[in-house]
Amino acid sequence: VNPFLRFVATDRPRFLILVLALAFAGFALTTAEFATIYNVFNMTQYGVEIGLLALGETLVIISGGGSIDLSVGSMLSLSGVFMGLLTMRVGLNVWLAALLGILSGGLLGAINALFITRIGIPALIVTLGTLYAYASAALVLTDTVPISGLPEHFFVLGQSKVLGVPFQVLMIFIPVALVLHVALRRTIFGRNLHAVGTNEVAARFAAINVGAVRFWVFTLAGLLAGLAAVVMTSRVASARPDAGVGYELQAITIAVLGGTSILGGEGTVLGTILGVLVITVLSNGLQLAGINPIWQLGAVGIVLVVTVLLNQWLARRGLRLA
Amino acid sequence: MRALPLERTPQPGVLRARGIALIRSREATVVAFIVVLGMFLEAVTGRFLAPTNLANVLLNSAGTAIVALGMTLVILTGGIDVSVGSMLGVGAVAVGYASAAGWGLGPLVLVGLTVGGLLGLVNGALIGFGGVMPVIATLGTLNILRALTFQLLRAKWISDLPPTLRNLGLGLALGVPISAWVALAITLVFVYLTTRRPLGRHIYAIGGNTEAARLAGIDLTRALLFVYTATGMLVGITALMYVGQTGIVQSNTGSGFELQVIAAVVLGGTSIMGGRGTVVGSVLGALLVAEIKNGLTLLNISGLAEGMVSGVLILLAVGADLLRLRGKRP
Repeated sequence: VNPFLRFVATDRPRFLILVLALAFAGFALTTAEFATIYNVFNMTQYGVEIGLLALGETLVIISGGGSIDLSVGSMLSLSGVFMGLLTMRVGLNVWLAALLGILSGGLLGAINALFITRIGIPALIVTLGTLYAYASAALVLTDTVPISGLPEHFFVLGQSKVLGVPFQVLMIFIPVALVLHVALRRTIFGRNLHAVGTNEVAARFAAINVGAVRFWVFTLAGLLAGLAAVVMTSRVASARPDAGVGYELQAITIAVLGGTSILGGEGTVLGTILGVLVITVLSNGLQLAGINPIWQLGAVGIVLVVTVLLNQWLARRGLRLA
Repeated sequence: MRALPLERTPQPGVLRARGIALIRSREATVVAFIVVLGMFLEAVTGRFLAPTNLANVLLNSAGTAIVALGMTLVILTGGIDVSVGSMLGVGAVAVGYASAAGWGLGPLVLVGLTVGGLLGLVNGALIGFGGVMPVIATLGTLNILRALTFQLLRAKWISDLPPTLRNLGLGLALGVPISAWVALAITLVFVYLTTRRPLGRHIYAIGGNTEAARLAGIDLTRALLFVYTATGMLVGITALMYVGQTGIVQSNTGSGFELQVIAAVVLGGTSIMGGRGTVVGSVLGALLVAEIKNGLTLLNISGLAEGMVSGVLILLAVGADLLRLRGKRP
């Protein structure tokens, strides 16, 4: 195998950086508006919400044992609706409502976690059920009408800039990603999470509380969905009851693209962030090039399949995968 | 556990044991659920058992049931196919265009089966030859095929179709929808396949223990190609019914269908880890899903609440089954 190919293809972050560079160069050469500083900074705001969901999904999938969360999009919709209702109908201060919205996401995640860890229903089935249930609850609570009319000072979260960078990127996404990165790499929680995902039985014999670890990752996925809901509500200036429809598959796609193993035990925050960047650049570039937005998803599908196929092909040639 | 058909004349004790196994089976739980819910709906609304209503339930369950048969095989091998909704979109577009061009019933069926089969074969090849994990391969094709559906339709609808497929979609024979007869016929084929044919037993073996199955000389690639291609072809059949039923094809056709099919299969007791489950259970699961939807309409509950009811019922059905069998299964 060609040494360059070996260099980039055996390490997922390196490979994604290459994809990112190629996509970037391609769009910069073909579309005049793409490589402007304004556009480059501006497009990152669209990656924040899906990025938060993908980070939650990454934690869940790392915990192994078939863990997956199909309900992240529905949790986003429902906690956004909670927040909107608390502000507009109950009359709470919008910032307090936002905090409660995030916590309600955590509660929804904890409900998932209880079914999974206490009753022992497989995560796929539990979150399939709550995918329906939460999405439908959001529609029933609002009667499908978006909640708007939130106070303008709340829009600073999703519509303002700090040092030229969208507020939510610099003040929300990057700090959250850093905390999660450190949590995975440097804390006992991170150790335990990887141990549970790699070998559940061994983890149990090592006196790790497997149920507790899984409980917390599903709850965290809910909290992150709640946070994404708040950011999105601020960015689009209303709480839409269908805000998160279809996001679950995108979040899983990004996590896997970033190198998270669907079997558990493997996955990094850095990989997932690179996955989000690839998808954001593709979406933005294709949009500026005037290609139908539906192909953004199509392109994601192609990148995903090609990445994994390439990895498998290299594996058969005896190259160690990262 | 299902008793294997080894002895020709079973002893009374064996028969009794089989009877108990049947009552304890997941299928029995689902049937009980269907009956109890039906009685409740009849008692409250007095309209559930009306022939037209029952025909409606069957009509609405047929498409899900047919694809659930293939999905059962896929899940039995330890895989999953989340692309069935997008395949339904592409299949319906192909069938819709061919129907609009005035093709007859025979050629249309051929189009549905071919397009569905080819799309399924792509999934099968990615998984069987490419060694890609099933969730990932089909997540990829889900996105690609959804984009393809959109591209093929160019933001338009296909409508004003000739009535070639109307009978398949809406017609009745002996008071039962033709689509339900089709579903029944395919179910019988799949029951025979999974219980009596070597390939069917191989599929169970692969899901039970892939490595052991490989060492026992089972051709994994062949079985995987088969289950995904078969699922694609079943989606093709459902696409024909869909076009016949609605007479319209939109770019979001089939979106969310995958979750409905997976819900039917898991409600029917197939283990998501593979190796355990029956196709009959999945068909019953599809019936239950359709009955729930019908019940919401009869009870005048807003369509918006449908997801809450189905979601909670999925958790109740599977949770109750797990709690009931806790400690009884090895």
